[in-house]
Amino acid sequence: MLSIRDLHVAYGGTRAVDGLDLDVAAGQTVLLIGANGAGKSSLINAVIGLVSSARGQITFEGRNISGLSSDARARLGIGYSPEGRRVFPSMSVKDNVLSGAATKSQREQSERWDQLVASFPFLAERQAQPAGQLSGGQQQLVAIARAMSGTPRLLLLDEPFLGLAPVWIQQISTAVRQMQEQGIAILMTEQMARPALKIAHYGHVMRSGQIRRSGTTDEIKGAALAEEYL
Amino acid sequence: MEGFIATGLIGISLGSQYTLLALGFTLIFGILGVVNFAHGGFYVMGGYVAYYCSAVLGLPYVVALLIALAATFVLGWLFEVLILERVIDDHQATLMVTMGFYLVLATGILVIFGAESPEFSFPISGVWRVGDVYFPYANMVVLGACLAAIVFVFWLVYRTNVGRSLRAMAEDRTVASALGMPTKILFPFAFALATGLAGLTGALVTPILALAPHVGDPVLAFSFLTVILGGLGSVTGATIAAFIVGLIEAYAAVYLGGSKGALTLFVLVLVILVIRPQGLMGKEVRRA
Repeated sequence: MLSIRDLHVAYGGTRAVDGLDLDVAAGQTVLLIGANGAGKSSLINAVIGLVSSARGQITFEGRNISGLSSDARARLGIGYSPEGRRVFPSMSVKDNVLSGAATKSQREQSERWDQLVASFPFLAERQAQPAGQLSGGQQQLVAIARAMSGTPRLLLLDEPFLGLAPVWIQQISTAVRQMQEQGIAILMTEQMARPALKIAHYGHVMRSGQIRRSGTTDEIKGAALAEEYL
Repeated sequence: MEGFIATGLIGISLGSQYTLLALGFTLIFGILGVVNFAHGGFYVMGGYVAYYCSAVLGLPYVVALLIALAATFVLGWLFEVLILERVIDDHQATLMVTMGFYLVLATGILVIFGAESPEFSFPISGVWRVGDVYFPYANMVVLGACLAAIVFVFWLVYRTNVGRSLRAMAEDRTVASALGMPTKILFPFAFALATGLAGLTGALVTPILALAPHVGDPVLAFSFLTVILGGLGSVTGATIAAFIVGLIEAYAAVYLGGSKGALTLFVLVLVILVIRPQGLMGKEVRRA
């Protein structure tokens, strides 16, 4: 579904991603773990088209998307939940969620809203509240629902557990499992490897912009290299 | 008492005109992060296009209004795409470019039409009178048209997909783009909507007030004042502030005199901003 070949991202003279190859198959959840500055978010941003300096080939469902703008990539079926949530703080929860389905008709949006409320009931309770007034965990769920409202086939989750209490990590893990049941491919980054490895199928350990180790989550768990992130 | 009511009606009429100007100004600032110094230029251009179409070409005034709206909308779209978009991330450059474009517009109008105010009067005359309360029909029509345009803008911003996308872009342009919102179309649309509103206001108002190449200067000043008072980027705040400014201006002009009226307005705005530095509807939102 997603294929990345020889990806390079640099900011000035600093290499954030250095010749990286990566694949995500349909229905698979792939986890990137690594310390701050390992290049995880740069990789996610390169996939969604937010890094102008990205070089290399990114293919989504057989189509080279490297030259496309970020909005064009999203409309192809790639959902994006950014690091730090970045909800639209003054907009209501419902408007936040439906802003991920901007190009869909009112009827499709209405149906999508009902589906998302069934998965995340708190959305209905808080639908009129400005998203900036929610707790961090609630904002993260709004950001995920927003990414899901466009019915993506690939979801990019950038550090969804960042700064959250265990109860919210549990809820977000449940949400990710629901998406897996729907057959959505997920590329996820996380520093908190232990809870993230419980929900992923496959993992990569990143350091200095490169993948240093890859394997199933059990293999990654057992690898000494990963220990420093657990 | 009758004079007080009549002045209030004039104030509301002024407020509706300022609202149209301020809505465009705040949309551009909120969505593109640009302080549009050319805003007054589009107001003047709208006035002259309407004047040319109705007074010179002899077209009906309503048609002239629509042509003025379309012309300023299209010019705004082209200006955003061809010039502004290239420097959109450089705030100083956007100031210079919009200021320069205002000078080009005002000078172009001066060269084409001359410095003299042309003969451009509103097609409807007469006064509506109840007792000692009077209100010119022209002001009534302008008030109605401005209120209709304001309702349209609010419907667009708060009730449509396009409006939701515009608000999202105003809050976080990068994330909005990554969620699939077509920013390459929505940015010029937002700018053109704003310049079209300024042009429509110019076409409606200059036959009542005055039409001259330089009348865009106070328009920019009042738009800026209104938007800051309402809270930068707030559509609702700009609307409330515009009516406050219109009413204060009308009452102060009648009861205090011209220069004292302007002084009263600026002092009141300063007091409000001391109490609420973020403006009337500017919000502080907790980022978790």
